[in-house]
Amino acid sequence: MSEDNTEDLGGIFERPIGRRDFLFDSAKLMAAAAAAGPFFMAAKQAAAAEAASVGGDPIATIAAAAAKKNYSGVTISRIAESGPQALEPKNFSGPLWNKLTGGKVSVVEAPFAQIHSKAVAEHLAQSGALDVIDTSPAWIPEFADRGVIIPIDALVAKYKAKATFADLHPLYRLLGKYKGKTWGFFDDGDVWNLYYRKDIFANPKLRSAYRAKFKKALGVPRTWAEFDETAQFITDQMAPDVYGSGEGRALGNPGNQFYFFQQFRNSGGRFFNPTTMKAEINNAIGVRAMTDIMKEVKASSPGIEKLDFISSWGLWLNGKTAMMYAWPPTGRISENYAQRDKAFAFLPKSKIVGKVGYALMPGKNGEHAGSFIQCVSADSKNKEAAFLYALWATSPSISLQRVMLPYTLRDPYRISHYKSKAYRALWPSAKEYLITLCEAANQAVIDMQMTGAADYANALDREMTAIYAGKDPKKGLDDAAKEWDSITQKLGVSNQRKAYAEFLKLPGATAANTVAKLGLAVHVK
Amino acid sequence: MAARAETVGRRRPRAASSWLDRHVRWLLVSPAILIITVLTIFPLVFSIWVSFVQFDFSVSNEHPWVGLDNFKQTWQDPVWRHSLVVTLVLATLCVAVELTLGFALALAMLRPFRGRRALMVLIVIPLFISPVIVGGFFDLFLRRPFGPMNWLLSQLLQHPVSIDFTIDGRWPYFSLILADAWQWTPFVFVILLAGLSAIPDELYEATEIDGARPRQSFFFVTLPLLTPIILIAVTFRFIDAAKLFDIIYSLTRGGPGTETYTSSYYLYQQGFEFFHLGQGTAGAWMFTILLTFISFWLIRRLLKPVED
Repeated sequence: MSEDNTEDLGGIFERPIGRRDFLFDSAKLMAAAAAAGPFFMAAKQAAAAEAASVGGDPIATIAAAAAKKNYSGVTISRIAESGPQALEPKNFSGPLWNKLTGGKVSVVEAPFAQIHSKAVAEHLAQSGALDVIDTSPAWIPEFADRGVIIPIDALVAKYKAKATFADLHPLYRLLGKYKGKTWGFFDDGDVWNLYYRKDIFANPKLRSAYRAKFKKALGVPRTWAEFDETAQFITDQMAPDVYGSGEGRALGNPGNQFYFFQQFRNSGGRFFNPTTMKAEINNAIGVRAMTDIMKEVKASSPGIEKLDFISSWGLWLNGKTAMMYAWPPTGRISENYAQRDKAFAFLPKSKIVGKVGYALMPGKNGEHAGSFIQCVSADSKNKEAAFLYALWATSPSISLQRVMLPYTLRDPYRISHYKSKAYRALWPSAKEYLITLCEAANQAVIDMQMTGAADYANALDREMTAIYAGKDPKKGLDDAAKEWDSITQKLGVSNQRKAYAEFLKLPGATAANTVAKLGLAVHVK
Repeated sequence: MAARAETVGRRRPRAASSWLDRHVRWLLVSPAILIITVLTIFPLVFSIWVSFVQFDFSVSNEHPWVGLDNFKQTWQDPVWRHSLVVTLVLATLCVAVELTLGFALALAMLRPFRGRRALMVLIVIPLFISPVIVGGFFDLFLRRPFGPMNWLLSQLLQHPVSIDFTIDGRWPYFSLILADAWQWTPFVFVILLAGLSAIPDELYEATEIDGARPRQSFFFVTLPLLTPIILIAVTFRFIDAAKLFDIIYSLTRGGPGTETYTSSYYLYQQGFEFFHLGQGTAGAWMFTILLTFISFWLIRRLLKPVED
């Protein structure tokens, strides 16, 4: 199909995003940031959460009642990722907690990676400035070993709140555990799925062109080889109007290591040799994964190497991308569910409403990337109040309302979330979306969860940006592996061996022990 | 008894007053000494201690003595050595570009002309902008495909240009120098303009009478008289450019890979992102010593004309 044929394809092509749109969207982002102060509480979710806290949900009720009795007037400070993640405690759970208990929640905002550094800095200074820390599972071992956070088992027993863990998807049940103790309440199902344009895949001209070229039907890719082939085909046919793929790959945003971890382990790779602790990311599997990633970059919009993730969402919503693998909010923003709220004005209105399909990642194993666990700071002066707030906010009913907020970036993670009738009614394909999220969690691989995870991730992220800029993939991975080995040496080979062995026990640590492979899969209808 | 008490009572205020007289200078400077001790001396001494112990959040909460290990580990890190080279190269190139442009601007603005004042205000505006904002601005300006730079070049060259100025080849260095020069050329310009304005007109009149050409006046009058001022500008700018951080942080984040890591960026990351504080502090000391030597050499050059 030549470029001329693109006009024949009718409505599937959207107006290309121009410089004016880009600048206009940037201006809107700034305006949204300025307007983010006002109260955005979604009334419907607030009413449901309030009802759950006064008898509707036993866990939420116990937590709210205990806090009202003992900690009314106490202000707890919670550090959350800046932007929409922080809007939730600012505009929803914080004000509601205040209404229910008389306690206040003050929110400290920081970009994802800086939550780690801020929490550590406050701990080293023993300032007690933070009470609840939104902790990525990857940081749990380090925070636990260094005494940044406290285990919550005794408080869970005191408030008879063990039931709160039963409803979690099996992938998420163990992520808050370390060395036999519980370190926080899981709070964000950040599993990746494949989002694709149903209208493009159904286009008869494109399908016939694909059949003519590859002698098979055009379908949603099931392997990475198929993904690369399909993405490039679509780019060849439709660029610059539509590109086959389009994930933002700026350094540290979202973090290129996620892309590599996903594909590397899907092909059977493991991070280290469990005996010698030598890095294995530069073996043949690693090089193949990296070479495949380069094919995805080639099939993406120009400049994707420098785009942050939010900007790549902009391309997707403008109809410029045919396939995108990403976090769950992609499904919500595609249907304009999130953009109904002013807080999400930084994203353009979706031009692809009703056109998006959901599928498991090629090769099935999507990355569970990032995510948050609400932990209690060891330096908090109000540990029990902080615990009660985290228990309440992550309880089944309250968490359901929080993951349904239009402006939230918290994603479903409880079995009750996936089954929720209220959630399934949010947009026409919400049910299919929730079922896919649950299935994706069954098959997901998780981020590295051991001491030094941030260092290892950064070293790989940096090298990947160098590879995007033209460095030989093998050489780049060799350099990253060298850096990994030196990080391991610094942290102690023996310590890291034990830490890696612990990590390998977690469901999803490798493609061979996903929840599904362990026979723990949950299927919802 | 009562009389003695009275005498003692009278003597006490006199003694206090005399003590005050003798020690008032210490009392007056003591707040400053206290502040300097708390905010400068203590952190300095503490940082020396940190650089000789294991102070690494990822490793342990204990801080055993490790001697020179932190210095060794930092020195053995290829990223650190690369960052030193990048720092020196970038600082030198930035200063060279800023000096050339600043000098040219100063010469052009020396004589009055219509609109000179308004133009000078425009020229110095970048000085008042935070470097992080400058980095962010150039990130948007140079970004592919949305930034206007590629479009401008395409219009100018009459063929499509698609360069990722913060990723492709050596362009990230160009981008950093461009951003730094845009912000700091006005600083050099202001200093050199002041220096040029201070050269007496009589000297030029004398050279003119002697039959010197403008080029000769420039090389034999302007340049020698301006050298101390140029050295001041170079010294200030070099010391500042060697600490380049903000623009890197917002424009390239040290990338691609570690290509544009300067020493400051590397040390920030070691210390405040990964909390390898021992290694970060050891690196900071090495960098301070290196910078002190360079500054010392530049200041010696600066003072030389005065001593002569």
